[in-house]
Amino acid sequence: MANSELKNQIRRLRFENGEMTQQQLAERAGVTRQTIIAIEAGKYAPSLTLAFRIAHAFSVTIDQVFQYEEEKLQD
Amino acid sequence: MAWLFVITTVLAVVASAVAVIWLYGKFGMPKAVAGLAFMGIAGIGGLGPLIFKKESGKVTCDERDTLINRRAALAGFGTAYMLVGAVCMVPFFVLGPLGSISVTWLPMIFMGAGICTFFAHSVAILLQYGWRGKNGK
Repeated sequence: MANSELKNQIRRLRFENGEMTQQQLAERAGVTRQTIIAIEAGKYAPSLTLAFRIAHAFSVTIDQVFQYEEEKLQD
Repeated sequence: MAWLFVITTVLAVVASAVAVIWLYGKFGMPKAVAGLAFMGIAGIGGLGPLIFKKESGKVTCDERDTLINRRAALAGFGTAYMLVGAVCMVPFFVLGPLGSISVTWLPMIFMGAGICTFFAHSVAILLQYGWRGKNGK
């Protein structure tokens, strides 16, 4: 059985980009601040389009923002 | 806004139930049905968009909100389906295959299903946002 998880570097990237606030990122990505909070906390996996928009907001590639990790659980 | 829907729905159901029971004790059926007029309280929920006005130029709904709303709608309709199913099956098992019920139950079942959908939808929204609403961290 496999358990997949989407890790992100949003928090780090925000601080590296002039301590960008969640609201500023939300405005750039065209979503609500609550969605950024949920993504940052790993509670919500964004759509591919939104993931690209977030990456564009930081001027980086999508894999620099999101990392897919698959953990294998032993039964 | 989901909180407003939950509160108005609960208030409407409780007030109607109290009124129907009180009227039933005083006048009996069918006059007690008039107590269902209190279901109109649920209509206050319809004023939600006027009370909680959208801020212009600001993103107020995105893909996550749409997903949450879609899941909540599914939960609402699913709950209503279960309720209608239960309401249809209970008389069958209680009264037997040859039993009969008054057709006045039909609009009540219809209304109950509507209220149930509305209520379950609102609760599902609150559960997904974590009770503290969209503004909660």
